[in-house]
Amino acid sequence: MPWSRARILEEAEKCAYCGFCEAACPTLPYGRHRGYGPRGRVALSGHLAAGGQASSEVLVSLYTCLTCAACTLKCPAGIDIPSLVRAARSLVAAAPHKKRII
Amino acid sequence: MPSNPKRLLEDLKSLLGRNKVIEDEAIVRLYSREPSGLESPALAVVFPETTGDVSRLAKYAYSHDLRLFPQGSSTSLSGSAVPLDEGVVVTFEHMNRVREISVVDSITVVEPGVRIDELNLELAGKGYMFPVDPASSAVATVGGAINSGAGGMRSAKYGTMRDWVLGLEIVLPDEHGSVLRLGCRTLKCRQGYDLVRLIVGSEGTLAMVTEAVLKIAPLPEQVVVALAFYPELRDVAEAVVAVKEQGVQPYIMEFMDDRTVEAAAKTVEVSVEASGHMFLVGVDVNREAAERTASWLSRTLSSAGATRLYVAGTVNEAEERGFFTLRRSLLPAQMRVAREITGSPRTLVYIGDIAVPPSKLVDAVEELRSLEAKYGLFTMIGGHIGDGNLHPAVGLDPRNKEQARRVEEWYLEVMELALKLGGTISSEHGIGLLKREGLRREFQHLGSEKALELMKGLKRLFDPKGVLNPGKVV
Repeated sequence: MPWSRARILEEAEKCAYCGFCEAACPTLPYGRHRGYGPRGRVALSGHLAAGGQASSEVLVSLYTCLTCAACTLKCPAGIDIPSLVRAARSLVAAAPHKKRII
Repeated sequence: MPSNPKRLLEDLKSLLGRNKVIEDEAIVRLYSREPSGLESPALAVVFPETTGDVSRLAKYAYSHDLRLFPQGSSTSLSGSAVPLDEGVVVTFEHMNRVREISVVDSITVVEPGVRIDELNLELAGKGYMFPVDPASSAVATVGGAINSGAGGMRSAKYGTMRDWVLGLEIVLPDEHGSVLRLGCRTLKCRQGYDLVRLIVGSEGTLAMVTEAVLKIAPLPEQVVVALAFYPELRDVAEAVVAVKEQGVQPYIMEFMDDRTVEAAAKTVEVSVEASGHMFLVGVDVNREAAERTASWLSRTLSSAGATRLYVAGTVNEAEERGFFTLRRSLLPAQMRVAREITGSPRTLVYIGDIAVPPSKLVDAVEELRSLEAKYGLFTMIGGHIGDGNLHPAVGLDPRNKEQARRVEEWYLEVMELALKLGGTISSEHGIGLLKREGLRREFQHLGSEKALELMKGLKRLFDPKGVLNPGKVV
């Protein structure tokens, strides 16, 4: 079942920002900033669902996720991060013009 | 606040290089919040890669009245790392090299962005460890731990960051961006006033740390672990006394109260029968002494009234049998229960960080429970019983103003009760924004208000223009 914006927001809001997920992420060490890790991707998914702009940095963050789910095993809030990222990507794909998601 | 943010960003890019500055609003926001729930926007994030970068930045900030907010991995629970005043976040995540490990000298030299668990992985290959182990060690950086004065489960035996930092390279926020090297790479060091320990725990308000010389310790040969459950709080206290009276200094001594155990057991799969107050103790031993220690621990904990007792001869065995599962589930359990109570996904967990003399732990837990009734806040209590450090936690929905007000009052009263019992308001999380009033009360309680003035004077001496992490600590 596709995720609604409300569900993406709700899932992203569960994040306590503890960062425990980051140690498991295979892409974070190779990225330029926190957006290349799960903590950043959860926040950026929420940002898109709230109508935030899909800047190139935001898109690169979301599309470099391998959806391997290593982070989910570490998440104290039990967020299904790969599904959240996929849902955020689908928001981008469904946007009438790709630069702005409103 | 800079009058021309666009010009500022261009200046920073020419100062550091374009790839070391991020202004994308969504990405900057990732560096503008922390688990305490506090959030405040910054203008940009910069990623220095060398001490030279940090020095140029400090010099520029001094001459342009720019505010800088040094940051590790934003795991502060006290508001130490959140930016204010529309400044620039300085993250050290790209300064993350272990420069040297010397077993002969018992030291390692590291950059501030090294994560503690990563450092320990490298050290383990040589049979050594860095003993300070905050619960966030998988993500926490050495620089963040230095600045927050972090501790952890092993603090009862090994102390906190202030006991393990031998030397520092720091950058001052002055007209030169001065680089100073403080302390030594020897275990003994009497270098006049101890500026190293002044920086440790200063929460990025005095200087920016760009390198650290840390002491390291040999990995224990073997650790015997016991997990016990007691019907009464006083039984746990008796168990602690019984262990200590034998002249044993355990490697870890952890505690969770009965209702927290119950909540944790609903959060994670637990392979032991968990009910009552939890006492987890580990004793490091020579391999030959393991069996004798296991049977001594077993006898001692049973005599103190344990209703359930599990003993493992090694850490591996304890891991396989799930002895650490309950203790590690403290944060997830606190979050799950908090969300259940508020009924909101947007739930924050306020975590206290008091310490009382271990002889007063029972009184502290009983008083915490009476505060729960007073404020109507379900309180989960766990902590490091070996050093008297407790982390009582309550949840709140920040949109519920009435609840937020009650939590703030509760938070202050928790600190008051620690003072009343001869303890302190903050053990290992720092002061940040959330405990400034607590710090004032602690000095008031000690009749030493002037200490705050001395601290403010030190801040002016190191940072006359208030460039670094303003609004924090004092």
